Parts: sequence; structure tokens; C-alpha cells
Amino acid sequence: MLLTYTRSKHACAADLPDGNLAVKAAVEETFFAAKVEMKVKIPDLEIGSVEGVIERCFSAECTKTTPRLQQAVGLRIGPGIIKLVNNLVGGSHGCPRLADLVLECCEQVILRYTVDPLGEILSKEGQELIEAHKKFLRQNPRLINSCIAFAEGSPLREGVELDL
Amino acid sequence: MLGFSRTKWVGVERPDRETFFAHGVLEDNIYGMELDVWVKAPEFVITGIEGKMRRVTTPVCEQAIPVLKNALGLAITAPDLISAVNRKVGREGCRHFANLLLECCDAVLRCAFFEGWSERKRKGAAINPDTYLQEQIKNFPDLKNSCYTLSNAGEQSERSQSKKNDH
Repeated sequence: MLLTYTRSKHACAADLPDGNLAVKAAVEETFFAAKVEMKVKIPDLEIGSVEGVIERCFSAECTKTTPRLQQAVGLRIGPGIIKLVNNLVGGSHGCPRLADLVLECCEQVILRYTVDPLGEILSKEGQELIEAHKKFLRQNPRLINSCIAFAEGSPLREGVELDL
Repeated sequence: MLGFSRTKWVGVERPDRETFFAHGVLEDNIYGMELDVWVKAPEFVITGIEGKMRRVTTPVCEQAIPVLKNALGLAITAPDLISAVNRKVGREGCRHFANLLLECCDAVLRCAFFEGWSERKRKGAAINPDTYLQEQIKNFPDLKNSCYTLSNAGEQSERSQSKKNDH
């Protein structure tokens, strides 16, 4: 059976020589193609610049929304960013697909700084691994109840609340 | 140096007129997972879901696979779909499954919205994009104000009609 629709989305974050991050996200789907590139200031996690282009779309009207990407400049990647980007870049005056690419970029930034500590944790085994996860959870309390691994009853969560 | 990379891919099949079947894959430096999602039209309700975790970070993560069943019965056209999936599949299970499921749902919706266009193009029918959008908004009223183009659908045709009337 042939596929009726396909979507391929790729995002990545690269370290820049000045210590900041260059982040990209691109989507190629049956009826739409676009990409967004951002520079993110480190350690503030502030969006320093955004560029984007809609390469293929159903209606030429869609391309009128790209200037709204500039509204994301100056935003800090942290709590509240999803709502802000959806309102400023997406919504009825903008393009939710471009907003989504900006948010994919933001996600890459967070994951970029998660990958190293996780690598450290995953080098351990057995009880050491569980203790390393607990330590990570104490350092990142926002993760408590964020998923089944860090929910009440999980061995990775045992005793963590008491330390908060 | 590349610090992180993530790829998501979704393909949608139409095994019959009432069924959309989406297969989604998420691969990044940390996680690797796959989803199969069945959506029934015209209600656009999730009727089946299966998931596989290829790479995870904790010994608990795989307990999120049966939690995927929480998505059964959700309507992918519902305005609160994102928060419902993030809560029922993400927080109660796995946030990355939730992310991929939302990608699959959006892909099905896009497919449903535009497949009529592809069909007509294949048959060589001439149709104005704006007219097509207006037609489809009637089938998907929740999408009416979801973006600039859909919010303004119909205005182009109205403008050209009013120009014709002026002449």
C-alpha cells in the first residue's frame, strides 16, 4: 500500500565557538516544507536571532507569516515559552507550523544540556544507576511527576520528596 | 560540534475509507521509539495504539507502553487534544511517546484535510486553493482560526467577486 501522506522533521543543536548554540529545525511533508534557524545565547538561554523560510505550502498566503518569527527574538527558553511562541508566532495571525519549528529548536536546546548528565547516569548499573537518577531528580525537581519514571511509586522517586 | 540531533518521521496509510493508520518514529541521541496509531473517520477518534521503545533512559520507562491505551477514544480534532495527550500519555506515561503521538495525530489531520486536494489534482481537476480551504473548513470547523491562511480563507474569493461586481 502506498503512503497517502509523509512527514519528516529534523532538528539539531550545534555548539558555536563563542559558547552559544546554533539550532535548526526543518519539516518536509506532503503539503508543506519549512525551516527555522536560531542562535541561542548561553548561559541565559535567550533566543538571540531567528531566521526562517516556508519553502513549499498549499497557499501563497502562508508565506506572509514568516516576519512573525522575529517576535521570538529575546524570549528566554524556560517555563512559559510554549504559550508565548504559540501566541506570537502561531495563532490566527501567524503560522502554527513555524511556531512548532521554533519550539522544536527550544526542545533541542534543553535536550542538548540533558544528554551529558544522562550519559553519566547511564554508565552506571543496578542500585548505583537508581541512586544516580535520584540525584538527577533532586537537581531537577521540575521533573517530579513529569512521567511514569518520576511519578509516585517509582523506585527512582523513592525518598526524593524528603530531600526537597 | 553537533550537540544533539532528533528526527521524527510519520507516514499515513489509508487501509479503507474510514481508517487512517499512522506509523511514527522518533530517534534522537537519547531516545528511540515507535508508534502505530489507528484513527477512525469521520469522528477522527483514536481507535487503536501500539508502541515500542527502542532506547530509553530508566528501567521504569517501559511501564509507559500500556499507558498508551489512555489515548483510546480521544478525538484528534478536539481543541484540548495537546493538553489531554500530554497529561494522559505524557505525565502518566512517557513525554516522548506523547510528543510522537501528537505528531501522528497532526499528520492524520493534515492528511485528512488535504487528501481531497491531492485526489482532484490527480484527476486533473482545476480548483482554486482558497475555494478548497473554504470547503474543508466546513468539514473541520475547529481549524477555522487555527492560522493566518485559514482565518482569511474566503476573503480572497470575496475580494475578487466584489471586484467583478464593481466592474
